[in-house]
Amino acid sequence: MSLTECYIALGGSYEEVLSRLSSERLVNKFVLKFLTDPSYDLLVRSMESKDWPEAFRAAHTIKGVCQNLSFTTLYQSSNQLAEALRNGYTPEAPALFDQVCADYERTAGAIRAYQAESEV
Amino acid sequence: MRNKTIRFLTVSLILVSLLCAAIFSFLAVYMNRRSTEAIREVGGIYMSGMSEQISMHFGTTMCLRLSQLEAIVETYPAGSTSEESLREELAYSAKARGFESLAFCSADGSFEMIFGTEAEVVDLQPFLESLTEGQMKIAVAMEDDGDKVVLMGIPAAYRMDGGNCVALVAGLPVDYISTTLSLDEDNSLVYSHIIRRDGSFVIRSGDAFRDTYFDRIRETCQTYNGTTPEMFVEQLEQAMDAGRDYSGVFQTEEGRNHIYCTSLPYSEWHLVTIMPYGALDQTVNNLGRQWMVMVLGGCSVILLALVLVFLKYLSMTRQQMTALDEARKEAIHAAQAKSEFLSNMSHDIRTPMNAIVGMTAIATANMDNPQQVQNCLKKITLSSKHLLGLINDVLDMSKIESGKMTLNMDQVSLREVVDSIVNIVQPQIRSKHQKFDVVIRDISTENVCCDSVRLNQVMLNLLSNAIKFTPEGGTIGLSLYEESSDKGEGFVCIHIIVKDNGIGMSEEFQKKIFESFVREDSARVHHTEGSGLGMAITKYIVDAMKGTITLHSVPGQGTEFDIKLDLEKAEVQEADMVLPNWNMLVVDDDRLLCESTVDSLKAIGITAEWALSGEEAIEKVDKHRRLHDDYHIILLDWKLPGIDGIETAKRIRTSLGGDVPILLISAYDWGEIEESAREAGINGFISKPLFKSTLFHGLKRYVEEESPNHAEVQTESRHADFAGRHVLLAEDNELNWEVAAELLSELGLELDWAEDGKICVEMFEKSEIGHYDAILMDLRMPVMNGYEATEAIRKSDRADRDIPIIAMTADAFSDDIKKCLDSGMDSHMAKPIDIREVARLLEKYFK
Repeated sequence: MSLTECYIALGGSYEEVLSRLSSERLVNKFVLKFLTDPSYDLLVRSMESKDWPEAFRAAHTIKGVCQNLSFTTLYQSSNQLAEALRNGYTPEAPALFDQVCADYERTAGAIRAYQAESEV
Repeated sequence: MRNKTIRFLTVSLILVSLLCAAIFSFLAVYMNRRSTEAIREVGGIYMSGMSEQISMHFGTTMCLRLSQLEAIVETYPAGSTSEESLREELAYSAKARGFESLAFCSADGSFEMIFGTEAEVVDLQPFLESLTEGQMKIAVAMEDDGDKVVLMGIPAAYRMDGGNCVALVAGLPVDYISTTLSLDEDNSLVYSHIIRRDGSFVIRSGDAFRDTYFDRIRETCQTYNGTTPEMFVEQLEQAMDAGRDYSGVFQTEEGRNHIYCTSLPYSEWHLVTIMPYGALDQTVNNLGRQWMVMVLGGCSVILLALVLVFLKYLSMTRQQMTALDEARKEAIHAAQAKSEFLSNMSHDIRTPMNAIVGMTAIATANMDNPQQVQNCLKKITLSSKHLLGLINDVLDMSKIESGKMTLNMDQVSLREVVDSIVNIVQPQIRSKHQKFDVVIRDISTENVCCDSVRLNQVMLNLLSNAIKFTPEGGTIGLSLYEESSDKGEGFVCIHIIVKDNGIGMSEEFQKKIFESFVREDSARVHHTEGSGLGMAITKYIVDAMKGTITLHSVPGQGTEFDIKLDLEKAEVQEADMVLPNWNMLVVDDDRLLCESTVDSLKAIGITAEWALSGEEAIEKVDKHRRLHDDYHIILLDWKLPGIDGIETAKRIRTSLGGDVPILLISAYDWGEIEESAREAGINGFISKPLFKSTLFHGLKRYVEEESPNHAEVQTESRHADFAGRHVLLAEDNELNWEVAAELLSELGLELDWAEDGKICVEMFEKSEIGHYDAILMDLRMPVMNGYEATEAIRKSDRADRDIPIIAMTADAFSDDIKKCLDSGMDSHMAKPIDIREVARLLEKYFK
């Protein structure tokens, strides 16, 4: 599995990230690093403990990371969740959170698959 | 509601007036009665005092007389001298004391006269009884000639004919009593009678002529206060029997009188004192009348005041109600306008949405033509951007209405703005088969500081209105030109003129066109959609930009809007736009456009000529061909009078051969005409409006074709060298930090990482003064966010507390940007990090 295929699998734009970071090595490094990023765990914990400001910040951070890495799909859902939580809890937030979870699993799954293959 | 209030007020006024009148009338009547009673009481007190006086005076006078008589008896006791001399002595003494007669009185009531005339005692029995019992007594006697005499008797035992006498009796004229007692004073109101128990007069005064006082009462008195004369007499008799004083009031023809009756000492007599109320009554009545007048006056004044207050209140209530009514109407109007707003707003949203939907359809139909698809996508992007802007506007609408809209000033390229506008409105113009003239005249400053979204909105509003209100086949014109600004060197005055030859507007409507939710309400515009909000927004935005908007319109002939904006020239220098010194021909039927384009071309180093028609163009090309001085490039308008652009191109191509580029200039869509244009030998397309930069970029590629060696020169990215500069980067997410660090280190920057706002502030404070050249600040961080950190740094007392701070955030709302600037940051940068943007900003802020 190549990086390009990985990006297709996770619903991102490889061309865009490459044009911005200008080196495949960097993209590779950051994509793998994404798996260790703590923001998603923080988001899950905050949503469970109903700490909405912290959940907003976590969603916002995920959104920022996705922008940097051009993870378009996860960017969109995390952006929506961040907007829903910007001024505290709104009724849409749980559904959007579920979407973020699904997109995160998809993204992380694609990256893990890529990681597994590239390590072999 | 209104009538109810007024009715309530009127009824209350009437009731209060009635109550007022009733209270005052009661007061008047009550006080009148009270004063009458008071007068009666005063009369009673006065009369009792007066009667007592008279009675006492009578008593003293009689006492004096009786003691004189007693002294005579004591001086000459019985048997002291001879009878003859005794009688003489007695007569002498009595005469000396003013008695008119003197007699001895026997126990059987016979008199033996000593001197004077004999008189007959009127009421002999009680007189004799008293004398026999040894008491002094007074009585009245009648002389033969009818004169009355007062007889005074004291017990004495003188010798007389037929035995001893029981008393010595002396006579006094009856006038003596009335004179002494002043019973009949003419100048006094009061007069008195002395009567006996049976009512007969002892002494009468005034006009009394009857025998008894009771008869007088019965005949002259009237019923007063429920007391008939008979009852009155009875009361008087009862009082006399009981020995009480009597005080009362009776009424005669002449008026009311007060009567007071008291008994007199040494006699069986009663003193009756009468005081007519006439004069007093008059005084009391006057008082009553005055009181009445005063009361009525006071009452009227109070009523008048009440009426005034009522009228004032009524008018105030009316005003209030009118105001309330107006406010209600306004509220209803506003509510209606608001409810219409959302449905109407669809018009403004639909314009770019149509472009997106249409372009998507075209792209779907041309999947095998990548160029076409790309073209469509480009337009979809432009329209989407505008749509996004509009949706933001809808959200901002409340801000506009509450006057809180802020302009987001940024560097704007007029070319890009006009390009995107032309792209958006093109489909609409084409669907209505209208002619679209875009003329850019003498714009030397393309980059200005302005709010591009708002400027877009203004122009789009005016253009879509022009399209809407111009029938099919009409002409829409957009032109821009530049003047020197009154504001000074750094500013430029841009005129934007939108003109159409549509239905125009009535003068009344021109006056209110800039009000909210307004559309000319006549049959001819009823079928036209729209929110009516566009012009209000336009006006508001132009005002906020401190510009002016003027309007000329004639119904049936068309409308022209002229917007004048003083805009600040953008700081950045435009890249040098120079092209080789070519010879060019510009063909367009609009002379202004030709002249302006030739000027623009001259500014980028090209010599150009112009022609107004296809025929003229062909002539000029032939002429140059003959002179072996071919044009390097020909710009050709598509729509021309006579032979059109395509035909002209064909003919030129025939005579010129294939090596001279012919470019089409048009405000219309290249995609539609591309095929026929290519067939006619046209090489390419430059879209109107023709800014200097439009021309430069459109023509540049022909330079590259000519000199392929230089092709890559422009794409070389120009990265500034920031080697050795220290930048503090506050970012809580490690991954983001690494990406940023990787990218920024390419610029030669040395980066330090602060994991949150608090650490950032601490690191900054621990550093040497001037160590850091700038801080890049994420906004959302745990512990302390970017705003707070910035404020903390700005408040520190370090010499370098004014260090450039640039915000980095994934949000690009104008509110956020404003908040950044408010908290003291210098600038704002959207994520994801764009290396060119960072370089541009850092270059700007590094000292």
